[in-house]
Amino acid sequence: MAPSGLKAVVGEKILNGVIKSVKKEGEWKVLIVDHMSMRILSSCCKMSDILAEGVTIVEDINKRREPISSLEAIYLISPVEKSVRALIDDFKDAAFTYKAAHIFFTDTCPDGLFAEIGRSRVAKVVKTLKEINVAFLPYESQVFSLDDPNSLYSFYSSKPNEGKEKMIETLAEQIATLCDTLKEYPAIRYRKGPEENARLADEVYQRLTAHKADNPTMGEGADKARSQLLIVDRGFDPISPILHELTFQAMAYDLLDIKQDIYSYQSTGIGNSNDREVLLDEDDELWVALRHMHIADVTKKVTELLQTFCQSKRMNTDNANIKDLSQMLKKMPQYQKELSMYSTHLHLAGACMKTYKASVDKLCEVEQDLAMGENEEGEPLKDAMKSIVPVLLDNEIKAYDKIRIILLYIFHMKKGIGEENLAKLIQHANIMADSNIINNLQNLGCNIIAGGRNAGITLPERKQRTESTYQLSRWVPIIKDVMENAIEDKLDRKQWPFISDPAPINTTQTAVSARFGHWHKNKSPTEYRSGPRLIIFVIGGLSHSEMRSAYEVTRATDGKWEVLIGSSHILTPTSFLNDLKSLDQVPNPDC
Amino acid sequence: MRDMLQRLQTISEELEDYEPELYGDEYDVDKGTLSQQAVMFENTSPIDDILKEAHSISKEISLLHLEVERLTINNERFGTSVRRLTLLKKDSDSIARGIQQRGGALHIRLQALGQESGQLEEREGPNSAVSRIARAQHDTLSHLFRKAMNDYNEAEEMQRSACRRRIKRQASIIGTEITDEQLDGMVDKGGEGWTELSQSLQGARSSRWAMCEIKGRHKELVELEVRLKEVHDLFLDMAVLVEEQSSKVNNIEANVCGTQEYTEKINVNVKRALQYKRKNPCQQCCPCLPCWNQNRLL
Repeated sequence: MAPSGLKAVVGEKILNGVIKSVKKEGEWKVLIVDHMSMRILSSCCKMSDILAEGVTIVEDINKRREPISSLEAIYLISPVEKSVRALIDDFKDAAFTYKAAHIFFTDTCPDGLFAEIGRSRVAKVVKTLKEINVAFLPYESQVFSLDDPNSLYSFYSSKPNEGKEKMIETLAEQIATLCDTLKEYPAIRYRKGPEENARLADEVYQRLTAHKADNPTMGEGADKARSQLLIVDRGFDPISPILHELTFQAMAYDLLDIKQDIYSYQSTGIGNSNDREVLLDEDDELWVALRHMHIADVTKKVTELLQTFCQSKRMNTDNANIKDLSQMLKKMPQYQKELSMYSTHLHLAGACMKTYKASVDKLCEVEQDLAMGENEEGEPLKDAMKSIVPVLLDNEIKAYDKIRIILLYIFHMKKGIGEENLAKLIQHANIMADSNIINNLQNLGCNIIAGGRNAGITLPERKQRTESTYQLSRWVPIIKDVMENAIEDKLDRKQWPFISDPAPINTTQTAVSARFGHWHKNKSPTEYRSGPRLIIFVIGGLSHSEMRSAYEVTRATDGKWEVLIGSSHILTPTSFLNDLKSLDQVPNPDC
Repeated sequence: MRDMLQRLQTISEELEDYEPELYGDEYDVDKGTLSQQAVMFENTSPIDDILKEAHSISKEISLLHLEVERLTINNERFGTSVRRLTLLKKDSDSIARGIQQRGGALHIRLQALGQESGQLEEREGPNSAVSRIARAQHDTLSHLFRKAMNDYNEAEEMQRSACRRRIKRQASIIGTEITDEQLDGMVDKGGEGWTELSQSLQGARSSRWAMCEIKGRHKELVELEVRLKEVHDLFLDMAVLVEEQSSKVNNIEANVCGTQEYTEKINVNVKRALQYKRKNPCQQCCPCLPCWNQNRLL
């Protein structure tokens, strides 16, 4: 199944705008990328896609490369000094590394670097030079990432950070390329409070306006005037990234060791190798169908689907379970793709449940009660301390899990807790080594110590929700309330001010012909979505439950609105706590 | 997208006006090849060969794909046209066998490419451009080949269910019901299955035409099952290959991060020099001779 949404838009832009645009029948080319462009390319194209369009090898610009002077090279790089230097070096000596250069920058090249290229010998061999305006990762069809895991530190560390201004400009440019690619010119709003929100929003506005000057089609269309871009900080909802979630994707990334979206497991097959490594991405249709489902439903659903599949292929379905998949594979190897998909998800769900039953089940009820402020019957929590003490005293529970409980307790006590009480809790839980995580949350604007730095700051009032949910999944990310309000135009203007006055909803627009005048617009069906979009950028990291909310809200509007959400990087509870831990430390020079 | 080529060329030309001595002879990219580095020429030939073979295989795969589409279209005609049924059937069989032959030949070529790629890795090192190109081509073409063969399987599967449906329908027209299990049994027994069935149907309200239909479909099903059995081994081979390759093989990031820095061939010569030095007979037998002292300076 072809990916839809952001991945399709960016994939199409790169395949058509970059690779195919310089393709010549019978001629092969070398594709050279740097770290950022490689991540962008990898998230929306496969090797087979680009090899089918005349690329024969993909190289890293920062590694020393073997000269292949019979082939021309496509440079898909970000306009930064390191990459431009490497480019110039390729053509510096008498012997050129490649026959010619087709250069594609991910976004605007600064004048200084541009002039350097002009002065170098590259200018003699360059056949193409374009700026493609794609400087973000399409992580999922409705989720984007700016691929900067150090962002939390950059914004909220206790140590002074000189690079902060430059970093805000870079982020703003990346967000602007997102809007450019989607042909959106949204009204920009930010959450009033932390000054970074306003600063970033302002910078984005400037970049966006600059992009629109070059690309007037941005924001065209009657509905597009309603599109909005919201800038919000991580401290706005510190609960969602630390709660134990029981939906498939969030749970898997929290409890299992999934690095770079690759899930590794062992399984007998038809060959000799038992190691399996599977990429969890949108090419896996089953993953797309299951990722937001509650774990209780997942195993049931996969088994059901496997049964149906076996029946339709007239395979013996008596034992349609994990163990017999290898037998089925031997009988019907032409269905390897499908069978391995079922096998992967059965294993993944099984692994989640195993880890859950080992320790997490004790925690979920306590966590939900603290987060919601009431138990599953709706009765307000009377004595929160009583429910958390047994957890803190339990030696089998990991330190990070205890910290998560303590934090939820603090957020439940709306005015924060006294330093003495906090010290006692830390002692009971035996987590002295990691205790700075709790204090560092104050850098994000959260109220931790009663009467401390952020006294008076409270978490927002929540919407009342009537949908039935699993008892251990009552919590709804705060951003979901915001999404729904923004779409219904009920988002408070004082708490969420506009950077500039929103474009008036122009009812008396000049008639736009559907037939004539559009010849110059190469709009592909995927990018030219006529309805409005709500784009949300979270400073400091995005949790899986918030990603899920974007899809849920979109579905609830019946496709009228599309909600996109993104951040500098995707969080897991562990990575979030690790990020917080380092906030008061000097950055590692190796990073 | 912003096209910046003009701007760059303006800067470059301006610079030429000011400092023409920097550039020397005009270098026209499209005319003439560079002749400075001999080591480059060594590389182009094996790369060219691999790319030629890859291009040819890729064309074959496209043809295979077209044949699979032809098969699907032909199979659809079964449903719509009743005339010349036997001819249509023969067509399907011949197209399908053609596909199997092509597929078999492609499989052998791909295996050869895989072996070639392995040999290149041993000769030139796994990080040399030519062996990485060979590996990438082999992986991608195997991927495309698998897709084409899966489409073929899909076409045969659809035909199989269509046949079974028609047999059952014809049987019910003449008054008997045939269950799935009975049908399975019939097909497994091949020709005998037909004689059994025709005997059991004699009693029922028979229609010559319907019996003909069922006989035709039955024969077709049997042939189809035979074809699928023949191609089973091919699918098994492909499945083993997929299992051995990690799913990362089609992932661009994994490919790029896995490559290592290029170390020029000069290192091979240094290694050789060291080997010769060690094997120097003067060193081995007469370490005290004056010539050894000279060699030591190497």
